Amino acid sequence: MTSAASLGLKAWLVQRLTAVYLAVFVLFAAIKFIWLPPQDYSQWIAWVAHPFINAALALFILSLLLHAWIGLRDVIMDYVKSAAVRAGLFAMLILLLSGCGLWSLRLLLKVAA
Amino acid sequence: MKFLIYRYNPEKDQAPYMQEFTLDNIEPGMMLLDALLRIKADKDETLSFRHSCGEGVCGSDGININGSNGLSCITPLSQLKQPVEVRPLPGLPVIRDLVVDMSQFYQQYRAVKPYLIVHDPEPEIERLQSPHDRDKLDGLYECIMCACCSTACPSFWWNPDKFRGPAALLQSWRFLADSRDQATAQRLEELEGAYKVFRCHTIMNCVNVCPKGLNPTKAIGNIKKLMLKRLI
Repeated sequence: MTSAASLGLKAWLVQRLTAVYLAVFVLFAAIKFIWLPPQDYSQWIAWVAHPFINAALALFILSLLLHAWIGLRDVIMDYVKSAAVRAGLFAMLILLLSGCGLWSLRLLLKVAA
Repeated sequence: MKFLIYRYNPEKDQAPYMQEFTLDNIEPGMMLLDALLRIKADKDETLSFRHSCGEGVCGSDGININGSNGLSCITPLSQLKQPVEVRPLPGLPVIRDLVVDMSQFYQQYRAVKPYLIVHDPEPEIERLQSPHDRDKLDGLYECIMCACCSTACPSFWWNPDKFRGPAALLQSWRFLADSRDQATAQRLEELEGAYKVFRCHTIMNCVNVCPKGLNPTKAIGNIKKLMLKRLI
């Protein structure tokens, strides 16, 4: 939950761990796209369908969403004083991020199947 | 030399304003505090500001000089761009002119229990410490509580009631790092949560402005590391 008491150190830790994974994956993807860019749609699909890439992408999206959640949560905690507005913003953000996550998951599973 | 000084007397003024002063006969080696004292003596005796030792030891005269916090007594006029804009420390309530109400700052300082906590019975002699352990306190104990760092910190501006701020956290680490202190667990527990430590986003304004050259950001990093060690 978003209770201020429980999420101090843990949020900070998750933010850093996800940052490391994001950096590693972006580097890996950049190298892949520079050296062996997919030439057409079927090659794209084949790449994403590979179980290793599929899992790595799923983890990338999860990390991205968690990282975005902690960062934006920090911004809201810093600047938004009213408890009601804050709760509303948190709810909107959770809805938006989990929507993105579920949509990406659906695409990844579709390609992998 | 031209000065623009923040003026506000809540008993008379509806809103704060900037007042211009011009000083002639600036001598080499003059500090900003000397200029303020001369303005108060020669131009306007109602100008209010805090000062005491005049040599960067007491920490009374923290103010905002050309947009960055510092001590007026150790800021040479020769280093300042004209007109010199002098304002009170940002983020704290203004009492009058350059004098601010430091209660929130002191409250956060008090909250970190800035003193040794020892559970063992009092020894017959002094509580001894090896030179190596004593060295760990260098860069921590020298703080003069001028509030330049905490009032330069946006996180402290937004949450002065919840975020401890760089000055208090430096002192918190000063006692966490002290080999004689026995309240590490209690101190860390007190700092838990998303606000007290973790509003620090490592922008390092505190390090930039500290007139004693201390590094609160590093101390905060050490607190986080210690918390992490105890979590694992």
